[in-house]
Amino acid sequence: MWWRGCWKSCFVLALHLVAASAQGELFDEDLTLRPLRDGRLEARFSFTTLLKGASPRDPESLRQDDEAQHYTLFPLALGQILREHAVTELHLTLNAGKWNYDHWGYPDEPGVGTGAELWAWMGDTSLTSVDQRWQGLRQSLAGLFCASLGHLDDQRTTSPTLTFQPEGSLPNFTYPHQLRHATLPSEHVCTENLTPFLKLLPCKSLSGIAHLLNPHRVFDADWHGLGVHVRYRERIGVEVRLAFQAVLDPVRYSHDGRRDWSLRSVFDRIVEKACPVARSSKVQVELPGETSYTLSPGPTDVVNDMATYELTSAQEALDVAMKWPGENSFVYPDTSQVPPLTDISVRRNLKGASQAEARLTIEVTNNLPVQVKSGYLETMPWHLQFYLHTLRAYIDDSQRDDLVTILSYAPPVPHSRPALLQAVLTLPPRSTLRLTMDVSKPFLRYTEHPPDAQRGWDLPPAVLVPFAFGEDDSPEFETSASHEANSTWTQEREPYPRRPSRARRIYTPVMLVDLATPDFSMPYNVIIMSCTLIALIFGSVFNLLTRRFVVVRVDSDPATPDVNSVGGVADSVGGTGAAKKTS
Amino acid sequence: MLNFVKWLCLALCLVIYAQAEPVAEFFGRQSSSHTNNWAVLVCASRYWFNYRHMANALGMYRTVKRLGIPDSNIILMLADDVACNPRNKFPGCVYSSSAKTLDLYGDNIEVDYRGYEVTVENFLRVLTGRVEPSVPRSKRLLTDDRSNVFIYMTGHGGNEFLKFQDSEEISAFDIADAVAQMWEKKRYNELFFMIDTCQANTMYSKFYSPNVLATGSSLIHENSYSHENDRDIGVAVIDSYTHYVLQFMEGINKTSQATMQDLFDTYDPEKINSHPGVRSDLFPRSLRDALVTDFFGGVAQAEVLLPPEGSGDAHFSTVRTTDDASEVGADDRSDITGDTAHDFDVTGGLDSRPFLAAIIDGHDTTLDRTARAWASSAIVLLLVGWIASRK
Repeated sequence: MWWRGCWKSCFVLALHLVAASAQGELFDEDLTLRPLRDGRLEARFSFTTLLKGASPRDPESLRQDDEAQHYTLFPLALGQILREHAVTELHLTLNAGKWNYDHWGYPDEPGVGTGAELWAWMGDTSLTSVDQRWQGLRQSLAGLFCASLGHLDDQRTTSPTLTFQPEGSLPNFTYPHQLRHATLPSEHVCTENLTPFLKLLPCKSLSGIAHLLNPHRVFDADWHGLGVHVRYRERIGVEVRLAFQAVLDPVRYSHDGRRDWSLRSVFDRIVEKACPVARSSKVQVELPGETSYTLSPGPTDVVNDMATYELTSAQEALDVAMKWPGENSFVYPDTSQVPPLTDISVRRNLKGASQAEARLTIEVTNNLPVQVKSGYLETMPWHLQFYLHTLRAYIDDSQRDDLVTILSYAPPVPHSRPALLQAVLTLPPRSTLRLTMDVSKPFLRYTEHPPDAQRGWDLPPAVLVPFAFGEDDSPEFETSASHEANSTWTQEREPYPRRPSRARRIYTPVMLVDLATPDFSMPYNVIIMSCTLIALIFGSVFNLLTRRFVVVRVDSDPATPDVNSVGGVADSVGGTGAAKKTS
Repeated sequence: MLNFVKWLCLALCLVIYAQAEPVAEFFGRQSSSHTNNWAVLVCASRYWFNYRHMANALGMYRTVKRLGIPDSNIILMLADDVACNPRNKFPGCVYSSSAKTLDLYGDNIEVDYRGYEVTVENFLRVLTGRVEPSVPRSKRLLTDDRSNVFIYMTGHGGNEFLKFQDSEEISAFDIADAVAQMWEKKRYNELFFMIDTCQANTMYSKFYSPNVLATGSSLIHENSYSHENDRDIGVAVIDSYTHYVLQFMEGINKTSQATMQDLFDTYDPEKINSHPGVRSDLFPRSLRDALVTDFFGGVAQAEVLLPPEGSGDAHFSTVRTTDDASEVGADDRSDITGDTAHDFDVTGGLDSRPFLAAIIDGHDTTLDRTARAWASSAIVLLLVGWIASRK
């Protein structure tokens, strides 16, 4: 009897556990290590938390109280922000460094623009405006991630819907969704951004792959950035993915110039144990095309040149190491000889020695033997004005304006809105398209200059998205012909395996523009003040000293005013007459 | 045997001496009536050559965190990023001494205002609480009339002003009016203002609100100087006044009974190269009654217990400070010696029985909690079984 009751209770408890897990949350962590051809190592950490069965909040319900939020693995601080502002999709990246597309290829995380970048898809509503919620969203994220996102105000916010399409689903609300995008190139990333980032993870940085995120090492990388990506997967749930990406340099760390690396040598830590609540915990190493390396310990699985290590709770500490025993020291490849790794290469610069105008130049090189169509997005602060009538396209000094199509331009509004230029560029095979345009640089008020005005103004990166390959004008991403061409081209040229070409964003480096700057320095102010005082004082005194004063005598008798005045006049006249008579 | 007896007698004398003074002070002391602590730490300088100002603020940040103020109660304003500056040879690290034994940045830090957000307007808005509704809670000073607030500012300044990023100035009148507004809006119980800049003592000369204690690094017409240069980093790494204050604070822990008078007594104009000043005419209590942890520490509990070695800590702190002063490069050894002496005192003193009893009680409490948890589970299981058997 007692045993039967116990069995019943255990059955109910087990049923409850099964139901809870079915309704619950999933957490996966993944570390991808990719040796690059210039001796560096790309490391991408990805922590994905999926809230099953959840859906983004309808902005129409912002008037009512939201449902209570109780999470086990899902980050509560981020979930509250998403519900508070009814955000359907969110992407925030904080990056430092310049991504070298030609030598590092496409990044695992596409958002590699320098500085802070925030874009979100939010449903519209008649209750609150999207811009109000956008302001609240960026302030909340600024507080959560210790970043200066409060500066992503209307002067930096645009809606480039062609370039930043949603990566997840957008539910059907009463009003359609709107995009808000802003960049802050002067933002930097440091330990104070990594600290709250790690606090969002279920295991923090105590166990699992996140233990490798040593701020003293990852912020010594040649490139590093962290990202927060939230998207809605229809009928599956809301997915939050926290990503950290870095390009580290084992050659610089080693004392003999070799490119051997291990988790210990790169991060100064190893994976001590797996995260207990992680459904899957993996370390993946992409194997180079050459065969002169050794990889230890042996991987759990090797599929398509990708070695995978599965971390389990019972497993001991993991320290993946890759060595090249045959190399005495790493020999850097000649950058002018090796071909670029990406489909297109982009360079952008601002020319002109004048303080009032400049010329913006974009050079896009198509490295493929087939034609490529690419979307081009240029966001410029309001203090740089485009002269759109001077837009020219050249290929080898011959003008080809027909290669720029579907031009869309939103002019800037001073102190209010940046300029937004979107276009489709057609790149002929193995050629370089050069786009030039004149811009004007205004005089700013002295209160508008930042504290380090002599450094210049940061300009956001331009974004290019190649989306069509091949001569046909169909918008499909990959046709069979272009795919075969890519495969052949890849096999011929590149020892490193590459993923198939897909539509992905390519960011240009940020630029600095010098506007006319008044001299804010203290010596200048002292000189001006002193000269002003000298001019005022010396001028007044000199004026007094050099002026000649003349006494003017006026004859008048107050006893008889009328007669005297007439007499005065008579005297004058009489005097004159007397003189004449005498002469 | 004789040596052991001598050591025992010496320990007993020390313990008795340490006991006497706290007992007298305990009944005569006016304790603070605050229930929470907040800290606003401002580094107002930009550029790499002002590395030392960032290190000043981070040193204070580390001190208040170590003494118990949580990150949610610390508003840290850094006008520039030196830890991840490309010029920094040690990325992610900020050092305040050429020995580089202590990384002020560490693995866990939260900067609430940084870069261009450090402005005079934002600082005054934080103090007075006049912020926009969209500003998150981590960027607000959510104090009340039971909050002790510690304000630390460092940067370049002059007579009655402090420069923010070499672009704006905050004047002594602005700060005095902001503190007055805080008092009128009941935003602090007691406020401690500390500033390290040139002509720093002029910055607190305009205060006119009650319950304010202030100190600065240098007189009017006097500069504040840096303490130490480092050839690897390439610039000065800390200011002199802040260096000696932090050195004193290294001897403080959460239960120290050191007073503000003890802190101010350690001011040495010859070592600091300027004359630090103290203003206490607006402070209601005597400086000998105000503990250092009233402003730097976090209030963890309302119950006041007197540790047996309270004054002993102060005594050892003084000794340690002297040792540190005599041998600047021997900080580690002095710290180790101090800790060893402290341990010896705890183990050797006969009057440490209450302390040991407290430890044992704590341990028993933990065991009791575990036992209670298991007992509760057993009771629940028994109840379930009983109900099942009844059915």
